[in-house]
Amino acid sequence: MIFTDLRFVALFLGCWISFAVLPKRFRAAVLTFWGAAFYAVYAGPFFAVVLLLALLTFFRRMGWLAAIATVALLAYFKADTTSVLVPLGFSYLAFELLHVVAERRRGRIESLSLIDLLAFIFFAPARIAGPIKRYPDFVAAVRDAEPSSENVYRGLLRILFGFAKKFFLADVLALTVAESAYVATAKQAWIVVFAFALRIWLDFSAYSDIAIGLGRTLGIVLPENFRAPYLARNIRDFWERWHITLSHWVRDYVFTPLGRSMFRTPLRNTPVIIAVVSYLVTFAVVGAWHGLTPAFLIWGVYHGVLLSLYHVIRLKTPARIADHPWYGSRAARVASIAITFFAVAVGWVPFMLPLPKAAKMLALMFGVAR
Amino acid sequence: MKRRLAFLLLWLVLLDQGVPPLLEHLERKHYEGTTTFRFANSDLFALGPLVDYLRAHPRHDSRRVVFFGNSMIFGYFLDAEDAIPAQFQKLRPDLRVYNAGVNGQEIGTSYVVAKDIIDSVDVLYVQVVGVNANPMLPAMLPVGDDDLRRFHLTPPDRVEHALQSRLGRVWHLYGLNDRLQAALFGTSTRVFIYMHKTDVLRALRAAPPARSWPPIRDHISVRAPRKAGPVRNATEQQKIKNDLAALARAHGKRVVFVEFEWTNNGDDDEVAAFNAAYAPFAETVIVHVPPDVTFDGQHPMPASAAQIAQALVPYGAAR
Repeated sequence: MIFTDLRFVALFLGCWISFAVLPKRFRAAVLTFWGAAFYAVYAGPFFAVVLLLALLTFFRRMGWLAAIATVALLAYFKADTTSVLVPLGFSYLAFELLHVVAERRRGRIESLSLIDLLAFIFFAPARIAGPIKRYPDFVAAVRDAEPSSENVYRGLLRILFGFAKKFFLADVLALTVAESAYVATAKQAWIVVFAFALRIWLDFSAYSDIAIGLGRTLGIVLPENFRAPYLARNIRDFWERWHITLSHWVRDYVFTPLGRSMFRTPLRNTPVIIAVVSYLVTFAVVGAWHGLTPAFLIWGVYHGVLLSLYHVIRLKTPARIADHPWYGSRAARVASIAITFFAVAVGWVPFMLPLPKAAKMLALMFGVAR
Repeated sequence: MKRRLAFLLLWLVLLDQGVPPLLEHLERKHYEGTTTFRFANSDLFALGPLVDYLRAHPRHDSRRVVFFGNSMIFGYFLDAEDAIPAQFQKLRPDLRVYNAGVNGQEIGTSYVVAKDIIDSVDVLYVQVVGVNANPMLPAMLPVGDDDLRRFHLTPPDRVEHALQSRLGRVWHLYGLNDRLQAALFGTSTRVFIYMHKTDVLRALRAAPPARSWPPIRDHISVRAPRKAGPVRNATEQQKIKNDLAALARAHGKRVVFVEFEWTNNGDDDEVAAFNAAYAPFAETVIVHVPPDVTFDGQHPMPASAAQIAQALVPYGAAR
């Protein structure tokens, strides 16, 4: 884990001291310097590739080239190829670059400073596993940051919380997940799948906690990424709680633009179809973002199907049923949480295993294995 | 808030001063206690702390015997007290026996570790199996450049390693945390929690019946031929054995190589020549294990583990 590497700690300490001591006008430069040092140490030659992409992004007229190059590189690394380059955190970085290109094109980022852009891209705490930042929010956060003792204390607590989640919960659950190689009964299979569901949440949210905590020690507020996802009452609520920065990114740059463009076609008379297509495409993108393999794509499309079904059911359910008081009861709340968790947990199977093994696991779980 | 931070820092500094004496106490209990020593889990985590402890405490009251090997030595399928080294300890309570067996361990690992602890032990029993050294060894113990090359091991990052050493000297909890975990749990904290995750449930249920084993009808046999002749040094396994034997000779220690056989191979000339050349510092003992006395054609049952231990006891002394 990079966060426990002493090289990372030393780099971050250097960053923190510079950030706290130097005048505010040098903050972006400080973050750029230390972030670039971090990226060069851990990503090696790939640092030059990212620097080039950043420069292409910076020049407005090259934005289209930056976008194409970023997507192409992302697709290349996601296609499960072995490469001598180490694309450290490139999935997150790519989406941040594409966000800048898109927002500039939309006119929402009028002036782009190179040093601010580099600080945004190379910000070490969020460079490993997110959260996926937004440029205007980050620049404002850096400008307003105060590395006070209160922020250091709160940040350290958040970091400790993240480490505790990772080492005492997620890593222990990983040992149960490893039993997937030996499952022979439905009960064992369900235990492993539930363990994976908990583990992936604890592991990933721990990384976010540590990243957010590190940012907090500088006084920089990073966006939250998880909000008790397994207390979601439906699949749409789940995606408002799970990897929030990713779901908001795909909402803003895939789902909404796709939906809007389809409304300009004859499909505008069938908004349900527009919604379904938008969900399916968006979550195919989400699956592909995790990996360009059949298993990840199936996972993504599965969530697209669930969201489409939820959308259609909500639309088609008569008001007298949808507005029934029972849906506000505690029993309904518990049932909806359980059903949502169950649906999400089943979806994790192709995420955690290659397809043939995932199929066997599902067959075992549902009692259709030979 | 500054006061809280300062207080937290002070508390950590004060707590840290108590770590070395606490570790000393826990390690003495763990490594020198009267119970049988075996890693709580058959993984490599606790091997590093064991090596650190033995190196830090080279002088000892009882003669030290360390067993290296794979699951057969570890005692797969068996409780700790039924494994070969534990049975050996029962027969020789005057010795301090360490079961450093780990599933899948090969003679390359035994060789690398033996080099680190040779001055802290008296007799090594080394199972002759495979040739490889575990790729995680360089992260756990000092491994020389020659051995890194020989076993195709990747050294830890030098900068990171240097930083860890320096910080570990100043912050005891950081530097000694692996040894603390091993002394407290016998393995890493996460594996300990995993292994005991259902203990609360078990505590509420009735105790399971004690395990019983069917009697064995067959018997193991051992032989350690000795006849002067050319010592073979062709295969990597032979080279490792010769190097380990030379190491034992250079340090005035004894290493007993244990070769398990399940079928009669017949060719003892190599073993005989080796035993003649390296006596009294090294000796190879061939242990014939009939499949009937094993669980799965390989791993001995408790009774046969006891037979093996009894057969190996005499070879611990120079002959």
